[in-house]
Order: sequence, then structure tokens, then C-alpha cells
Amino acid sequence: MDLLPQFLANGLVIGSFYALSALGLTLILGLMRVVNFAHGELYMLGGVLGWWVTTALGLDFLTGLALVALIMGVFGWLIDRVLIERIRGQGEEPGILLTIGLSIFLANTALLVVGTAPLKVEGPVSSGPVFLGPIVVTKIRLFAVAVCAVLIVAAYLLIQKTRLGRAMRATFQDPMAAQLAGIRTANVYACTFALGTVIASLAGMLLGSIYSAQVSVGGLVSMKAFVVVILGGMGSFAGAIVGGLVLGVAEALWGGYVATGWVDIIGFVIVILTLVFRPYGLFSRRAERA
Amino acid sequence: MQFERNAILVALLVAGLLPLVVHDQYLLHVAIMVLFYAVLATSLNLVVGYVGEFSLGHTAFLGTGAYAAALLSTQLGWPMWATIPAAGVLAAAMGLLIGSITLRLQGPFFVIVTLSFAEVLRLVADNWVAFTNGPMGIAGVPQPAWLAQAGNLATKQFFFYLAWAVLAVSLYLAYRFVYSNAGRAAVAVRENRYVAQSIGIRPFRYAMLAFVLGAFLAGMAGGFYAHYISFVGPEVFRFAFMVSMIIMVLVGGKGTLVGPLIGALLVTFLEEYLREAKELRLSLFGLAVMAIVLFLPRGLMGFLTTRREMRTPPYALSRAPQGAAPADWRSQIRCALGRGGAILSGVSGAWRLGKPK
Repeated sequence: MDLLPQFLANGLVIGSFYALSALGLTLILGLMRVVNFAHGELYMLGGVLGWWVTTALGLDFLTGLALVALIMGVFGWLIDRVLIERIRGQGEEPGILLTIGLSIFLANTALLVVGTAPLKVEGPVSSGPVFLGPIVVTKIRLFAVAVCAVLIVAAYLLIQKTRLGRAMRATFQDPMAAQLAGIRTANVYACTFALGTVIASLAGMLLGSIYSAQVSVGGLVSMKAFVVVILGGMGSFAGAIVGGLVLGVAEALWGGYVATGWVDIIGFVIVILTLVFRPYGLFSRRAERA
Repeated sequence: MQFERNAILVALLVAGLLPLVVHDQYLLHVAIMVLFYAVLATSLNLVVGYVGEFSLGHTAFLGTGAYAAALLSTQLGWPMWATIPAAGVLAAAMGLLIGSITLRLQGPFFVIVTLSFAEVLRLVADNWVAFTNGPMGIAGVPQPAWLAQAGNLATKQFFFYLAWAVLAVSLYLAYRFVYSNAGRAAVAVRENRYVAQSIGIRPFRYAMLAFVLGAFLAGMAGGFYAHYISFVGPEVFRFAFMVSMIIMVLVGGKGTLVGPLIGALLVTFLEEYLREAKELRLSLFGLAVMAIVLFLPRGLMGFLTTRREMRTPPYALSRAPQGAAPADWRSQIRCALGRGGAILSGVSGAWRLGKPK
């Protein structure tokens, strides 16, 4: 039992990344009703771009983060305007297929350009250890978790306090009424997709500074993000954060006490159990939604 | 109905004559893969096209069937003619289990949880080394002994006819389902769940029937695959298979029996043709997928029939005879969906207006 605090800490660290990477997905899924299978690839692009700006361009980490956010924001905006706008209002299927096609294209094109080698994103601080009572965490992880928290808070403020955020929430509640109230919903959708893309890519860059960015990681990230979104209830901001932390801690405890080999299965088992007992997600207050 | 039956029979006949003219081993292999994918696409179409639930977990049944056939033949020494049906039955049992959990869900939840089941099975196949041999997979799944002396071309021809037979069985079962009362009820649920319920159709029952039948067919395809490739690993559960299947169903046109066959033919050849492009292959495939969704949203069959449907009312089942109440079951559903839809929307509209704030 001595190791419990350490496992919990590891779980919370990983969980905060899961939360951040699921945040963008839950926005896109909840607001736009698009099940975005390219989410993991957008995350991957963030890591690859992060590697590029910190090593090839030699920018420092935070400037690089801002530049990646800018590039990926424009990219996400374009994806919505060029692709997703055309299939809006046609139900889920075309969106799923379109984003599957996009994910295949992005993953394999990235593979052609940068290859399979892990790409180390230059972190801002060393990877030396920090001792917090019985817990050991590396400096870089603490830093990344802090940035993670800042980003989550910033996204929250953006959605709760700004004009754009109000428009997004209004569109989420009732697209037709929002349009009648003078909100340009097409613009809101594009901004939402851009925001989701930015959040995913920043999560990719942050994690790339701890481990490395890898081109092949997209599928796994998408799956984990889906798990978190289901746990949290679709479109729920707080749900995504709690869901991410729950998944992180569950995996860390399983890996610590039971077996390391089966870790990836945890999330899916939790999802299946969740949906058996609560068909609309753990934290969803929405009773019925077809 | 008549058209579909004739088209299927002609397609099967033409396909059946192929090995008499083609003696190239590689072409025969591609043809075998077309037949294999046609079975998968047909089985997935039962769920996606006729029940209208977007399942992304169909590889669960393909993989269950493949592993079942591989284990039964290598561990228990069952012959191939027994393992392939057994693979179907075991996959159907898996379908019953998964369906009983997932078919209660709708929309994105259904999509993701079916996908989760396939991933769970993949991880089990990957990690349960004692049972599945883990990532190494099961090699040397036996083929009939006499094939060893018969040479490569004869082997290919034999497996071509085996795949052909599995496809014929699949199409027969799918046809029987689609044009049965159960099939029509499933379509009624797809078109308008609430009206269908209002005339006494229980959605869950028919969705389940389609789901289990689809699982059975996919399981047989998996069993065939195990013997043909003679190797089964966790890759049978991989998402790429799922992507191929779903694209075939949608390119051809979901909700028609002929559509998935056309889809299987086109996509298999597209995948083979793109091999020329080497590294660019998958990037181009991704682009092709996006182009299909954007420019061919209802598939080739939809594209071909759009013009005809423009002249009829928007609901597919509403081509009902007007006037006197029709005698047979099928027409009754059609009529009910046509009229009941209007009645129900009127009722719900009135209820909404009168709802206290």
C-alpha cells in the first residue's frame, strides 16, 4: 500500500492529459454532433509540429506552443469549412466516414513526410525529479500538468465568459433559435472545430515533450478520448475532465496492482459497463437524447 | 424484389464461371478477396443498411469466426467443412451477447461501444497468450490434405469456389431476411422508429435478428479467411478491416442487396490498384474515402436510383397503394408509415403547441 500515493499521482498526471485531449473531442461531439475519428491525428500533428518548431525553428517551448496553436487553429477552421460544412445536418454517418478518411490521410501523409522515428519535443525544463512527500514526479511532468491546467481553465473561460463562448453554448442548445437570434452558426461551428483542433494539438505537443511525438499514435489517442467522452457524457466540459482523471487513475492502479499488459483494455471495459448501467454517460444529466 | 433477385443470380453465375476463363493465380486471389469482402459487406449491410444502426464493431464477428475456426481445427482437429459453420455459430453467439448490450443504445453511443467491443476482443487476442498465442497468432491452420498435391492453381480454384459457396449462402440468408416480415419490420423501424412502434413493431427484436444474422455471416467469412490464409492473428480485429467493410457498403449503396456486392468489387480493386502507388497508397485511399462521402453520399445504387425516387414521396416505404386497405402485411406497414407518420407528427405538433410552459 506504500506505493498508493505514487500510483495516484501518476494516474492524475496521465489523467490530466487524457482530460485535455478529450476536451476538444467533447466540444466537437457535443456541439456539432460530429464523431471525430481524426481527433487522434490532430493530436499527433500537434506533437509533430511541436517537434518541428522547437528543434528546426529553435523556438522556446511556450512561443512554440502559441505558434502550433495558431497553425492548428487555422487548419481546424479549414477542415470544417472545406469538409465538414458540406455534410452538416445529415446525421452521424457521413461525419464518421469523412473523419475516418481524414484520419487515414493525415496519418499516412505524416508518415511519408516525417517517418516512424519518435520525435522529441524540446521541453522547457529538465526532466529531473521533484520530491513531494512520498511522491516523485519529474519536473517536466509537473510543468506539463500546470500548462494543462492553465489550458483547461482558459478553455473554460473562453466558453463561459466570451461572446464566442456564449454563441457556442447557444448553438449547442438550439441551433435554429441561435440562428434566429442572429448568431452565424456556420461560423460558430468552424470556430468550435478550430478550438477542438487547437486543444488536441496542444495536448499532443505537451505529451510529446514528456515522451516523444509519434506518427502512429493517432488511433490509440482517439480511442482513449472516446472513452473519456463517454465516461463524462457528451458535450460535458466537467465530465471530460473528471472522465480523464478517472481513466488515468484506473489505468495507473491497474498497471500498478494487477498487470501491465492489459492496461489498454480498462477504458473499454469501463465504457461498456458504464453504458450498460447508464446509457447516456456517467455524468450526463440528459435523460433522453436520440 | 424481382430486380434484386435476378441481379444477384446473374452476378453469382458470372462470378462462378470466372475460374474457367482466368488462370492467373494473382487475379484469382483478388477475386477470392472480392468474394470474401462481399460476404462481409453483405453481413454488415444487414445492420447498417436495413436496421439503420451504424456499427463499427463488425470485426468482432470476423475475428471471432477466424479464431474459432483456427482453434477448432488446430486444437481439436475438426475438418474444414465443420469449422466454417461452427465459426458462424460462435460469432452469432458473440453477436447475441454484444447485441443485447449495444442495441439499447443509439447514435454516437452505439457507434463507439460497438467499436469498443471489437477493441476489447483485439486486446484479448493480443494478450491472452495461453489461449490465442498472443501477437504471434495461430499459424498453420490446416487446409484439406489433397490440396497439397494438387498445385497452387487448383488450390486457388478450390478456395474460389469455397468463397463463392459462402457468398451464395450469405446472399440467400440475407435475401430471406430482407424480404421476410422481420426484414420489413426492421426497415419500418429504420424509416420511422416511433410510427413502427405505434403499429406494434418492437424495434429491439428485429434489430437483434439482423445483428445476429450479420454476425453469423461475418463469422463464416472469418472461418473461411482462417483456412484460406492459413494464419490468424490479432490483426483480424483491426480497424482497417472495418473501414474497408463500411466503405464497401456505402460505396455500393446501403439498404440494397446488390450495393455491397458492387462495393466489394470496386473497393477491393481500388485497394489493389493503389498498390502501384506504394507509399502514397493509404494517403490516396484516405482521400478517396473523403471524396466518396462528399460526392457519392448515397452510394452507386443510390446514385442510379435517385432519378426514379425523385418522382416518389420522400419516404422510401411510401409507395403504397392508395384507397382500400391492402391485404398483405408488407403493404400494411407501408400504408401505416405513410399515414401514421402524418398523424403522429400532427399529434406531436398539437401536443407541443398545447404544452404548458
